[in-house]
Amino acid sequence: MDTLLQTLKDALTIGSLYALIALGYTMVYGILKFINFAHSDIVVLGGWLSLVIATKLLAWLGVDLAAGGVASWWVGPVVLTLAMACCGLIGFTIERLAYKPLRGAPRLNVLITAIGVSLFLQNSGQLQFIFGTSPRKIPSLISDATLFSIGDVQVRLLDLVVVGTAVALMLALEYLVFHTKIGRAMRAVSYDVRTAGLMGIPVDRVISFTFILGSSLAAAGGFLWALNFSVIKQPADTSWVLLGLKAFVAAVVGGIGNVRGAMLGGLAIGLLEGFGSTYVNPALRDVYVFAALILVLLVKPGGILGKAVVEKV
Amino acid sequence: MTALVIWQFLWPFGLIILVPVVLGAIGGSAWRVFWPLALALVVGVLMQHQVRTNMDAYSSKQILDVGIAIILAVSLTIVNGFTGQFSIGHAGFLAVGGYVAGSITYYGSFALFGSAGATLGTMSGLYGAKEGAAFVTGGEGLFLFALLAGGLIAALLGVVVGLPSLRLRGDYLAIVTLGFGEIVRVLIQQTPQVLMSKDAIAAAKPLSVPLSVGGSLGFGNVPKYTSLFWVYAAVVLTLIFAYRLKQSSTGRAMLSIREDEIAAEAMGVKTTYYKVWGFAIAAFFAGIAGGLYAHTIGISLSPVDAGFQKSFDIIIMVVLGGLGSISGAAIAAAIVTYLPELLRTPDTLMKFAVVGVPMLVIGGALLAMAGKPDQGPGKKRGHDPRAFPRAVIGLGVIITGLSILAFVAKRFGINLSDYRLILFALALIVMMITRPQGLLGVRELWDGALYRPLRDFFSARRAEGGAA
Amino acid sequence: MTSTVSSAISMTMSDAAEVLKGSGAAGESLEVRGVFKSFGGLKAVQDFRLSLPPAALYGLIGPNGAGKTTCFNLLTGVYRPDQGEITLGGKSLIGLRPSEIAFTGLARTFQNIRLFGELSVFENVKLACHLRTTHSLAGVILRSGWQRAEEAAIRERARALLQVFNLHDRMDESARNLPYGDQRRLEIARALATGPKVLLLDEPAAGMNPQEKKDLRKLIREVRDVFGVSILMIEHDMGVVMDLCERITVLDYGVPIAEGTPHEIQKNPKVIEAYLGKE
Repeated sequence: MDTLLQTLKDALTIGSLYALIALGYTMVYGILKFINFAHSDIVVLGGWLSLVIATKLLAWLGVDLAAGGVASWWVGPVVLTLAMACCGLIGFTIERLAYKPLRGAPRLNVLITAIGVSLFLQNSGQLQFIFGTSPRKIPSLISDATLFSIGDVQVRLLDLVVVGTAVALMLALEYLVFHTKIGRAMRAVSYDVRTAGLMGIPVDRVISFTFILGSSLAAAGGFLWALNFSVIKQPADTSWVLLGLKAFVAAVVGGIGNVRGAMLGGLAIGLLEGFGSTYVNPALRDVYVFAALILVLLVKPGGILGKAVVEKV
Repeated sequence: MTALVIWQFLWPFGLIILVPVVLGAIGGSAWRVFWPLALALVVGVLMQHQVRTNMDAYSSKQILDVGIAIILAVSLTIVNGFTGQFSIGHAGFLAVGGYVAGSITYYGSFALFGSAGATLGTMSGLYGAKEGAAFVTGGEGLFLFALLAGGLIAALLGVVVGLPSLRLRGDYLAIVTLGFGEIVRVLIQQTPQVLMSKDAIAAAKPLSVPLSVGGSLGFGNVPKYTSLFWVYAAVVLTLIFAYRLKQSSTGRAMLSIREDEIAAEAMGVKTTYYKVWGFAIAAFFAGIAGGLYAHTIGISLSPVDAGFQKSFDIIIMVVLGGLGSISGAAIAAAIVTYLPELLRTPDTLMKFAVVGVPMLVIGGALLAMAGKPDQGPGKKRGHDPRAFPRAVIGLGVIITGLSILAFVAKRFGINLSDYRLILFALALIVMMITRPQGLLGVRELWDGALYRPLRDFFSARRAEGGAA
Repeated sequence: MTSTVSSAISMTMSDAAEVLKGSGAAGESLEVRGVFKSFGGLKAVQDFRLSLPPAALYGLIGPNGAGKTTCFNLLTGVYRPDQGEITLGGKSLIGLRPSEIAFTGLARTFQNIRLFGELSVFENVKLACHLRTTHSLAGVILRSGWQRAEEAAIRERARALLQVFNLHDRMDESARNLPYGDQRRLEIARALATGPKVLLLDEPAAGMNPQEKKDLRKLIREVRDVFGVSILMIEHDMGVVMDLCERITVLDYGVPIAEGTPHEIQKNPKVIEAYLGKE
C-alpha cells in the first residue's frame, strides 16, 4: 500500500512537470508544425538560470543557507518569475533569429534548424564561463520538512509547491488559451496560419507570443525540476534530452497541438513510467515511454485527444 | 610451408576473382562485380601501406575515423537523403552492428583460437602487424564474417524500424527513430559483464555468452583488427553501391518518395516497399561502420554510441553535405571529422586566408561583371549568371571566416576546439537559413548540372559579348 | 515558342508511337457503379457511376467543390469508397493501393501539379517508366547485364516520350524550373510513361494561356488517337471540354446530375441550374 502511494506521489510530481514542459512542445507544434528540439534546452536554461539567480539573490540578501539561514518565502517566486522572464526573452530571440527566416520552408529544414539550436544551447551551456560541465546543488529555497504523512509516505512542503505551481501555471495557460483574445488568436493561427493572417490576426506577433509563453513555462519546469531533485545536472547531460523527449512523447500521446492533451499526456507518461519502474523493472523506464509512444502512434496517430489529419491531394 | 605462405597471400585475390565469377554467372556481368572489389582491394592496400608508412599513428587514426564517418554519412544519406524519411536514431544501427560484430569476434576468437587476442595480418590492425605476419589470417576471416553479420542484424532491425514509417510521416517518424536509438541504448546497458576467460565462458549459460557485452561499463576487449585497409575497402564498396543505387530504378523510386509520396504512389511506386528497403540498406552499412568502429584500437564500445548525440553527429554531416548527395555526404563527413583537428591548430587555419581572400576578391569581381538574370520572354527560367560568383563568394566567406576566427582565437588564447560543437550548431542553423539544400543539394560532384551556374555565367558573358 | 509545339508533336508522334508500342495495352473499359464516399458527415460523392469505353475521351465537370477530384482520388485508390464497384477490364480496383491501381493501368495527373521537383525532367519520366519493368536489388549491386539493358530501354522510352511532348530540349532541368504550361505537359507525359489504359487528367488546362490551351487540345486528342488510351478529364474551361469530350458527366454536390454528349449537356436544365442557380 505504501509502495503504491509513494509511487503515485512520485509519478504525479514527475507527470505534472512533464505536462508543464509538454505544453511548450504542443503549442509550438500546433502553430508551426515542427518539433522544437531546443525546448528541452530552454528547460535546462531555466533550471540553471534559477540556480544562478537564487545564489546571487541569497548572497545579496546575506542569507547563508549552509550556516542554517532560511530563505524568505518570497525568494522562490521571485526566482521563478525572473527565470521565466529571461527564458521567455531567449525563446523570443531564438524564434526571431532562427525560425522566423524559415517561415514557409519545408518542415524538415525547420526541424534541422531546431536540432542546431538545441546543440548550440547545450554546448554553450557547457562552457566553463557559462554553466560548466559539472552538476550543482540548488539552494533549498523551500523547506523540505515533512508536512504530514499518509502511512509511510511523507509529504513535504516542497512536493506541494512543485505540484501546486505546475498545476497553477497550467490552469493559467488554460484560461489564457480558451478565454482571452490572444488565446483565441493563438487557436486561430494554429488552425490555419494563412487564413488567420488574412483575417487580420498579426501572425508573427502571435507566434512570438507562443514562444515566449512556451519558453517561460519551460523555465518554470526547469526550476521546479531542479527544486524537486535539489541537484541540477550539467547542460549537455543526457538526462535533459531524455526529459525533453519524454515531455514531447507526452504531448504526442495526449494529442499534439492540444493543450489539454499535453496535460493529460504528461500525467499519463509520468504514471506509466513511475509504475513501470516500481513494479516491473526500474532500468527499463525509458523503454516504457518510447514503447508507449510507438504504440499510440500506430494505434491512434492523432493521440488521445487529437484527431488524425488527412493530407489533401 | 612455402605453399602455405603463397596460399595465405593469394586467397583474398582468389576470392575477388571467384566471387565475381559466381555472382556474374547468376547476374550476368562478372566484370561489373569484379572491378569494385578490385578497386576496394587496391585502395585498401594503398591506404594501409602508403598512409601508414608515411604518417604517424595519430594522423592515421584520424584518417581511419574519417573513413568510418564516410560510411556512416553515406548510409544515412540512403534513408534520409534518398527516401526522405527523416531518421534520427541512426546511431542505434551503428551500435547494434558494433556490438554484434564485437561479440562474434571476441567470443568467436575464444572458441576458435582459445583467446581473444587479435591474430593480425599485414593488412589488419591500425598499427600494422609484426614482421613476417601472414597477409591475411584466420582471425581476419572471423572479423570479416562478424562485420557482415553485424550489418545484417542491423539491417533486420532497420526493417523493424522502417515499418512505422509506413504509417508515420516526417517528425513523428523522427521521434520514433530517436526512441529506437534510446531503446537500443537502454537495452545494451542491461547486458551482463564481459566474460574475461575461457573458464568464465564455460561456466556461463551458453545462450547468455554472446550477450555478455559489458552493459554500461563498455566493451573494450574486442580484438582490434580494424585497419586503414579494411575501412577504406569498405568505403569504396559503400560509395560504389550508393552510386549504383542512386542511378538505378530503385534509387529513383526512393528519390521520388522523398519528392512527393502521393505522386510516387500514383506512378506505381510501391512506397512502403522502398521505404523499408531504404531503412534496411542504410542500417546495413551503418552496422558495417559500427563493426569497423568496434574493432578499432583505443575504442571501447559503450551504450552511449547508440545515443542521439552520435546520431546528431551523422545528421550534421548529411545535412551539411546536401540531403541526397553521396559525394556531398562523404565530403561533409571528412570535414566534420577533421575540423576539430584543424581548430586545434590555429596557425594552419590562419593560412586559409591565402585562399579565402582571393576567392572573395575574384567572386566580387565576377559578380560585378555578371549581368542580370534572363527574364525576357522565351528565356529559360532559373538561369542566373550571378549564381556562380555568389557560390565563389560564399565559399570564400566560409574559408576566410575560419581563418579570422583562428586569428582571433590565437590572439585571445582561446582553444577553438572547445567550441567545435557550437560552431557546428551555428553552421547547421546558418546553412538551413542561407542554403537549405546543403553543400551539393541532391547533386553529385560529377553531375554536370552542379556546374550549371558556371555555364550560365559564361554563356551570359558570351551572349553579352555577341550582342555588343 | 509555344507555336512550335503543335507541329513538333505531329511530326514525331507516329515515330514515337513506334518506340512506345505496347506501352499502353489499350482496349479495356473502366466501369464505375454506385460509388459512395463520405468524410464524417459530409457526403462527398454519392452514387457516382461512369462507363468509359476503350479509347474514349470523356469529361467530368461540375461547379467548384462538386467532388470531381474526390472521384479521381476514389478511382486511383487514394481514398477507399464506402461502397460501390470500380472495375478496369473486369478486374475490381476496390481496396488496391494506388501503386497497384497504377499497375493495372490507371494513370493520373494532379490538379495542383505534383512533379518530383528536384529531379530532372528526364528522371521524372524515367521513374514512371519503371512501372512495367522488373528490377531487383541484386541487379543494382551486380549491375547485371539484364538491369543495364532495362535501364537503356527505359532511357529510350523516356526520351521518345519527351520528344512527343516537345520537352526533350529541357531534359536535364529540374522539373520545378519549368514554366507552368510545360509542367502540366510533363505531368501528362509522366502519366503516359506508366503505360496506362486509362488516363485521368485533373484540370490539364488550368493556368494556361489561350494559345497553350489550343495546343493542349490538339495534344490530348493525339495522345488518345496514337496511344489508344481512354481519357477522362476534369476541366473548367468549357471551350476545351465541349470541343474535346465525346460524353460528359456533370457532378453537383457529389451527385451525378446529368450525363450525355456535349450538346445534350449544354441544353440540360439541371446543369444550367447547377451552374447558374435557379431563377
